Formats: sequence, structure tokens, C-alpha cells
Amino acid sequence: MTSRKDDGVNIVCAPTGIIPVKRPGRGIAYLSDAGFENMLLDFSLCCPPEELVKAGKGELAAKPGRRNEEVRCTGVAENNGDDSKENFQYSERIKEGMLLLAEQCKKSGMQMKIAHAPYLPRNYKDSNLNDLLTVLAKESIRVCAQAGCQCIVIRPLSAGIPDEDIWSRNREYYMELAEAAQKYDVQILLENQCKDRNGHLVRGICADIYEAISWVDSFNETLGQERFGFCMDVGVSNLCGQNMYDFISGLGERLKAVILRDSDGNHENALLPFTSADNGQAQTDWLGLIRGLRERGFAGEMIIDMKDTFSAFPPFLHPELLKWAKTIADYFKWQIGMENVLKKYPSRVLFGAGNMCRNYMKCYGEKYPPRYTCDNDSSIWGTVFCGLEVKNPQSLKELPEECAVFICNVYYEEIREQLQEMGIRNPIEYFSDEYMPSYYFDRLEMKNI
Amino acid sequence: MKLGVQTHNIVNDSNPSEGFAMIARAGFACADFSLNSYLSNASIYRDELNDFFSRPIRELETFFLPHKKGADKAGVTIHQMHMPYPIYVPGGSEEQNDYLWNQVAPKSMELCHYFNCPYIVVHGFKLAYYLGTGEKEWEQTEKFIHSIAPMAKEMGITICIENLYSGLGGHLVEGPCCDAKKAAERIDRINERYNAPVLGFCFDTGHANLVGIDFERFIGTLGNRLKVLHIHDNDGIADLHQIPFTFSRSRGNKTSTDWEGFARGLGKIGFDGVLSFETAPVLETFPEEMKQDALGFIARIGGYFAGRIWN
Repeated sequence: MTSRKDDGVNIVCAPTGIIPVKRPGRGIAYLSDAGFENMLLDFSLCCPPEELVKAGKGELAAKPGRRNEEVRCTGVAENNGDDSKENFQYSERIKEGMLLLAEQCKKSGMQMKIAHAPYLPRNYKDSNLNDLLTVLAKESIRVCAQAGCQCIVIRPLSAGIPDEDIWSRNREYYMELAEAAQKYDVQILLENQCKDRNGHLVRGICADIYEAISWVDSFNETLGQERFGFCMDVGVSNLCGQNMYDFISGLGERLKAVILRDSDGNHENALLPFTSADNGQAQTDWLGLIRGLRERGFAGEMIIDMKDTFSAFPPFLHPELLKWAKTIADYFKWQIGMENVLKKYPSRVLFGAGNMCRNYMKCYGEKYPPRYTCDNDSSIWGTVFCGLEVKNPQSLKELPEECAVFICNVYYEEIREQLQEMGIRNPIEYFSDEYMPSYYFDRLEMKNI
Repeated sequence: MKLGVQTHNIVNDSNPSEGFAMIARAGFACADFSLNSYLSNASIYRDELNDFFSRPIRELETFFLPHKKGADKAGVTIHQMHMPYPIYVPGGSEEQNDYLWNQVAPKSMELCHYFNCPYIVVHGFKLAYYLGTGEKEWEQTEKFIHSIAPMAKEMGITICIENLYSGLGGHLVEGPCCDAKKAAERIDRINERYNAPVLGFCFDTGHANLVGIDFERFIGTLGNRLKVLHIHDNDGIADLHQIPFTFSRSRGNKTSTDWEGFARGLGKIGFDGVLSFETAPVLETFPEEMKQDALGFIARIGGYFAGRIWN
């Protein structure tokens, strides 16, 4: 397998809802202007789930006045037993549409490292499209490789399959796909699913961590290589109220990608992270997610999917919204990689002798011990706080040049300016205790906070 | 297969016999005694503790004598009871946590024994936010279990841990004991240590539904460690404790809770315990005049489940 240079989380934007496949130019330019350098090769752009369903029911053909391209997509259900022509037409559509998109991205400097194969809506119960999905998945693998992607998320087959046959049918399915994946050197990522129980979305295939592990390991053992990995859809985990920390810890190295999207936990939406809130609280367990990803030093693909937020915003604001989305994605990358930043420097000092410093010392003090901390409050200079000597910030002028200053106070910008005005040339980093591995049961009441 | 229902909103202290008679008339042979009503979780979290459990055990037994007699007279067995919860408040005062741990918990055990009740349901501690992981959280819960396990062994009581939820901006997510595999391992390990069935599991259908748990798989993983049930329904959004089959979330008007999976799961493990309903709010929803009928309807549903489990 080819490997990507390991430099932390790779931020990827999901294009669905943002980029129309037939006229992708402006959307790609918006993404690029916002600072995104990677885009998901999302095959549902060409084969949206709702359209596959219509094709399955033959509805597109029944409506007059359809454009040729849409009509060509029909007939799967109408031609039971002889759907190869229609499957071929869909494949052509994937090939043409997605390669064109990939080409446009390349021209704009937008990279594509991960893809997502077409899928059906959660509430689709008929097995009549499973053969078509198999064809589309195989074609997606081929096109994915051609576009330079290294991995592709492929959902399991579930529609119309009795519970007792889910494992055997999917084993057959994924082994069939593995042949194509091997041929094109692409890794297949399984994804945690929810299922529709009469309108209530509950845990589906691979939502159970033990099942997810056993599927990935079983496939890889059969093949004798790491051809399968896992993509965690945070939106699905949230819908199922799952313990995200446990899920990530359980997956371990199998976890290659994370789909970041927000929701209220009851409706399957793709909202910009941190936007679903009630009573002043986020409705997604971002703490559990970041704890888990940080602990295992996650350095895979982080796909930000915000199609519902994007669609709800007036087009006039789309460019700014995308910039904001990139800022949020960068925030996640920073939080997840926090420990990597700490370990990057041979030595460090802290700035701030309050709760954030206390939390630093609780979680990282032993592993990444600071030389001392400093604070603008002259009344505590010379005292010891959480085992650290509290010094006058002027002491920072005597630091060896490789020592980093970690600001442990929410007045980041002000303190940075102060340090720059003091002529400090050491690296200045921000520390945050927003998502810590653990917390004290109490907070200190500080006179200056 | 026997049916049970919680006593909250049915049995009152002024005339407990009347409540137990109502339970029996509805078709229930067992009751889940709501000991937690005597120290509510809301008051614990607000640090507004009453002194109910500070009374000597003999005084408490005297207080509950009419309840015991009422149940006996009605032919209702106290099959399970619920210990007040939480037993530990993170950030709470030492005095508060000492009262919960050293007064409320052991006296609950003694009262359980007094009622000849074989099962007591406890809540695991909700500490993952502070401690970082479910494992560290469980370590604290386990310390608590060890504090009452010797009493449980001596009294022949099985302490049952229950699958719980936590809240995130009104969205209810997994809380302690939602991993059946881990729960099974922990139960086995602790029972082996005491060489007695001091620990078991209470499967709460409503809590499981809130976090989309697969009932059949969960019950199957627990197997015979499953001792007690809290049967109730909700819309998958809020912990409503309503009558099963009440909720639908699609135009098809089919139940959005997996009651088939529930019955299949119990059938597969050969569950022979009590089908106990935790549906106290229902008794407040219906007018007073319909209380008995509502209770009877719940019992009828229990009968339906019993039929499904054994067929």
C-alpha cells in the first residue's frame, strides 16, 4: 500500500451540496479560496441515493420529458434479470462525471486522497439495487485509483437482506470488491451504519465496535494484507448516542478516516460542527471524539461534511461560510494534534498560573514537564503552583532558543503580543484545556479570572 | 412468567395496602419497590438531602412494615427494588457523599433484605467526563459495589447494574454500563471473587432505545447475567417511561422501538425472571379514574410479551 507522509490529520472537505458535478468550477474555487486543499471524491455526486431509488422503481422512465442522461439511468427494476446494460450506463456516468471532476480539481490544485462510493437511503428496504451497488462500487474503486485516491469508503449492503444473512452476504460482497481494490491498490474503508426502525435511527451494521473490529480483521486475515480499514462517521455515532472515545479506542489503527458532521442526535443531518446546540451545550460528544483521536495520535483523513448547513445558507454567504468551516476544521486538527505539538519541542515553559496551567500539569505535566510557568500577576512571582515555580515574564528573555512558550490563558492574542513586544523569539504555542483527557472535579477560584 | 410493575405513583405511604391491591387487581404478581422515591435524584444533585436514611434501620423497618404487610396481603412479591441514585456526586461535599455511601447504600441493602427482595438495582457512577474513560469510571463504581457486595452475599441479594444515559444539550447519549460485553466480563469477575451471584444486570429498554442499542444482541451478550428488567417505551429522544408500543415515528405507524428484538432476545437466553415495567409516569398521565385500567393494560402487554418469549 502507498502511504501518506504522516503530518497529522489531513483535512478533507465533502463536496456534496457544495459542488454541482456538472459545473464544479466555482465550487472548487470557493473551497480553494477557503483554504481547503483536499476534497472527498464523493460518487454520490453522480449517483445520489434518491436517484438510485427512483431508478430502482423505474420512476424516472415513467415521467415524460426527462433528459436523456436521467432516462438512461432507469430500467434496473424494469429489466429484472437483464440489467447489465443499465449498470453499464451508470458506470459510464461515474467514469465520465467523476473523472471530469477529478480533472478539474487537479487543475485547481485540489487533491483527492479519499473517496466515498454510492449508497442507498437508510430506509430503502428492497434488495433489487444490491447488484447495481456492487457494479457501482467496483467502478468507483477503479475511478478512485485513476483519480489518485488511496482509499474508498464503501458502505455494507443492507437493503432487503435478512439480519441472519447480513454477515455472509457482505463477506461475499467485500471479498468481491477486494479483488478490484487489490488490482488498483486502493484500501476499502468500512463505515459505521445506522438503520431506520420506522423513523427511529438506531445502531446498524458495524455500529457495534466489536462487530466493526471483527469485520475488518476477518477480511484482512482472509486476504493476508491490510486491505480494509475503517471510517468513523461521527454523525452516525451521534445519532446512536455512542461513546465515541470507546469506539475510537477500540478501532485503534484500523481507523483511517473520520467524517465530521453535527446533528441534534435525532435527525441525520450534516451540520457544521458546533452548530447543533441546545441550552448552551453542544449536542455531539466532541470531548469524547477529541479525547479518542488525540490519545491515539490520529493522523488520517478528517472529512468535514456540512452539506445541510451549506444548503441552508444564502449563496451570497457561501464563500465566507467555507472559510469558517476551514477554521473549524483547523481547530479540530489543532485539538487532535495537541500532544504532538507538546512533544515537538525539547523543552517548554508555560505562561499562566491558573486553571489551564493546573489542567496542563494534571494531564501532561509528567510527560512533558515545563521548566516553570510565568504570570503577569506580580503577587505570585516566586511562589510554586502545581509544582511549578511562577516567574516574572521577563524571565522568558533568558530561555534557550529551542524552548517553546505555551500560553495557558485564554487571552492568547494579548499575551502573544506582549511576548513579541518583549522581543521573545522563542516559538510561541497556544495550549487549550477545552478538551482534556481528564479533569479535576473542581475549578480553582482565581482572583484574576 | 411473572409480571411486575414499579410502586412509584401507585403505592403511597398513607395506605400502602390500597396500592398493592391495585397492583394485584391489574394482574401483577410482583412489584419493583421504588426505594429511590424516598431520596430523589434531583434532590441529591441539588444537595438537598433529607434525613430519611439517617434513621436507625429498625425505625425504617417499622416505617415500611405497612408496605410489607400490604404487599403480603395482596399476594404481591417485592421482586426488585431501586436504590436511590446517584450514590456519589462528583464535586459534592464530603458530608454529602459520605451520607450517600455510608448511610443510604447500606440501609437500602438492609431494607431490600427486610422485604425479602432478591434484587436491588444501582446506578453506576457518571464520572467519565472527569476521569476520562469508561474504564476509570467503572473502577469507582466497582469500589462502591465492593462496599456493599459482602452484605449482598450475606443477605442473598444480587446487586444489578443498569444501562444508563447521559445528556448533551438535551441529546441523550450512552452512559455507564452500555457495553454488554464489558458488563458481562465485570459481572463474572466480581461474582467469581465473592463466589456468589452478588452482581447481575438490569436491562432498561427505554434507556437502550434512547441510544439505539440493538436489544437482541445486548440481551444475548448478557445471557443469564440478566436478572432484572425495566420495561418502558419512549420516542428515542426523551426518557419518557411510557407504555410499550406507544411510539411511532413514521407514517407507517409501526412501533419505533424494537419490541420484537426484545422478545426474541429474552426467548433466546431463556429468561425466566419477572417482566417488570418501569412506567410510573403513565399513572400520572391518565385520569385517576382510569389508573386501574391503565395498569391493567400494562399487565396485558406483559402477558403478550410472555407469550412472545415462550413461543
